[in-house]
Amino acid sequence: MRFAACVVAATIFFTLSLPAWPHNAPEPPPSKAEWEKGAEFFRDICSHCHGPHMVNPGNGSFDLRKFPHDERARFFNSVRNGKNSMPPWKDILRPDEIAAVWAYVRTGGVEPK
Amino acid sequence: MRKLLLAATLAASLPLAGHAQTAQELMAGSQKDTADVLNYGMGYNLQRYSPLTQINRDTVKHLVPVWNYSYDDNKSEESQPLVYKGVLYVTTNSATMAIDAKTGNQIWKTKVEYPAETPRIVCCGIINRGLALYDGKVFRTTLDANVIALDAKTGKEIWRSHVIDFKDGYSQTVAPLVADGVVITGISGAEYGIRGFIDGWDPDTGKHLWRTYTVAGPDDPNGKTWPGDTYKHGGGSTWITGSFDPELHTVYWGTGNTGSWNPTQHPGDNLYTCSVLALDPKTGKIKWHFQFSPNDPYDYDSVAEMVLANLDVGGKPTKVVMDANRNGFYYVLDRTNGKLIAANQYGHQTWAKGIDEDGRPIPSEVTDKVRKGEAVDVWPGAMGVKNWSPTSYDPQTGLVYANTLYFGMHYKPVDVQYRAGLPYWGADIDWIWPKGPRGFLKAIDPLTGKSKWEVPSDIPRFSGVLSTAGGVVFTGKLTGELEAFDAENGHKLWQFKTGSGIEGQPITWEQDGVQYVAVSSGIGGVYDLFAGDERLSKVPAGGSLWVFALAK
Ligand code: HEC
Repeated sequence: MRFAACVVAATIFFTLSLPAWPHNAPEPPPSKAEWEKGAEFFRDICSHCHGPHMVNPGNGSFDLRKFPHDERARFFNSVRNGKNSMPPWKDILRPDEIAAVWAYVRTGGVEPK
Repeated sequence: MRKLLLAATLAASLPLAGHAQTAQELMAGSQKDTADVLNYGMGYNLQRYSPLTQINRDTVKHLVPVWNYSYDDNKSEESQPLVYKGVLYVTTNSATMAIDAKTGNQIWKTKVEYPAETPRIVCCGIINRGLALYDGKVFRTTLDANVIALDAKTGKEIWRSHVIDFKDGYSQTVAPLVADGVVITGISGAEYGIRGFIDGWDPDTGKHLWRTYTVAGPDDPNGKTWPGDTYKHGGGSTWITGSFDPELHTVYWGTGNTGSWNPTQHPGDNLYTCSVLALDPKTGKIKWHFQFSPNDPYDYDSVAEMVLANLDVGGKPTKVVMDANRNGFYYVLDRTNGKLIAANQYGHQTWAKGIDEDGRPIPSEVTDKVRKGEAVDVWPGAMGVKNWSPTSYDPQTGLVYANTLYFGMHYKPVDVQYRAGLPYWGADIDWIWPKGPRGFLKAIDPLTGKSKWEVPSDIPRFSGVLSTAGGVVFTGKLTGELEAFDAENGHKLWQFKTGSGIEGQPITWEQDGVQYVAVSSGIGGVYDLFAGDERLSKVPAGGSLWVFALAK
């Protein structure tokens, strides 16, 4: 039973973290709804370390405005597993939630039209 | 022969080692015992004042570094060092250290480990604020909520008591207090929907002696200030060390904001959040409470230092407890009964029209709107008129020296669902910055709230303050300068640039005829992380301890 849940979770994660667009093509812009969810998540659970609207001096944590907008896999990996003092989130955030925050980060925090 | 020699060596080393630290010594505090700094706050009264005068307004210009010690840690360094018989004890989030106070040589270092997930539930910097010393032991807390006792001589762990599961949002940064032979600790996590408390522990064994909740439950008549089950996530953290009056056998401990911030989610006074509790250290029993900000929407928590002093109030010497509250009012209470003596504004605020005779704030239109769920602009912002950075009270001048803040916020209450281990803010905020300085070091008359002098700073100071009988006030800047000011007029007398930002708490002591000043340097606290002030991008992280004395 537990195992089954794991498999389902893993499948969801796999689907969400793998690009659903042609290889080498840039990732299409996120939907407004996903972006808004991401902005809210960012504000609630990331901003106290990464600064409001991602604005921070970069000496206490990573300046996410500088995070490469085409490194989706790295984003998912770092957020899921953590990196140095960046905490891991995989046990508590759902893949669709991480995907929403990615939508916010890769648009540089600019709401899609 | 050999045995004899050994005995002789032991005897000779005993007075030097001298780790039998007692309640008597603790009671003397740094104002009577200038050779030691025995607790968080430099004395049970948390005055952070020293009668030492070797470093004074004339000589301070000759202050030079004596040694620097690397913490091998790149977090915010907010710990206050202690000094006992020539040994300096200090903490970071990741280690406890004992250092020879004269030479800077490390005696021992004991690492602290916690799960990688822990920082998720730490809102405002990965830090530790210091330790307590008692009976040959060093006591500290860990980020993942454990209280530990180490052997002061060797750094070996003697006991470890698990406080509560960090996965439910609980963490610890507080320096313990030892009062009437009980180790007392607080808790952090009001932004993560905790139910706050204060704990008492047996110093010998780590046995849990008592727990007093700062959020009243159904078993307490004040529990009715919380609707339904809201008390279960009501906040009320206790992350700054309390003060202690040994004559009254009373501990004074401040409590934090409500969870969530959104006041419409838990209408009522929400006792005992944003309050000061007068506790019996042996049992944890609440003798009296005084609430500064009932049903607080703005994170005007009241955890910061509760300073004890004896003031002349209308010609009568009065035992008071004083608080530079985050809400912008400076409070003076009679500490024997919790009655209000004075509450005057000491910085800009728009949330209250004033404080009534009983100490209850009179809400402004801004606050009325918020309680209806509307968005507002309000001063001060969530970091308050003064944040955690401890003040110093100078009994010579009668002034309180405080690093105050000057910025507001756009504030919108939002409904939030509790989810264990995730933030439970309940508000959407954005800072309102003034054109000029965002902070002032102020010399405040505690009974009127008025400043005798003010020293502005574009980037506000977040360091502790220390005052001395030499007429010198020490504090530090986020850009790294340790500064000395004239206590009478605020003139800058001296500064030294350390390698990172200062968020530490300066202390002073005397050893073999030399007065020393020590402070931690290391940026990464709440303002650095959360204010989005990019002027700090040129201040590198990197924790270390600096010790100064006059040039020979
Ligand atoms: C407790 C503070 C903290 C919180 C909360 C936090 N981070 Fe981080 N984050 C850090 C630190 C520190 C680093 C720098 C890690 C390093 O490289 O040493 C970092 C780095 C990162 C990186 C860059 C990793 C890389 O590949 O170089 C990403 C992406 C990131 N964080 C995303 C997030 C997101 C998204 C959230 C919210 C879900 C979040 N962080 C919450 C502290 C935090």
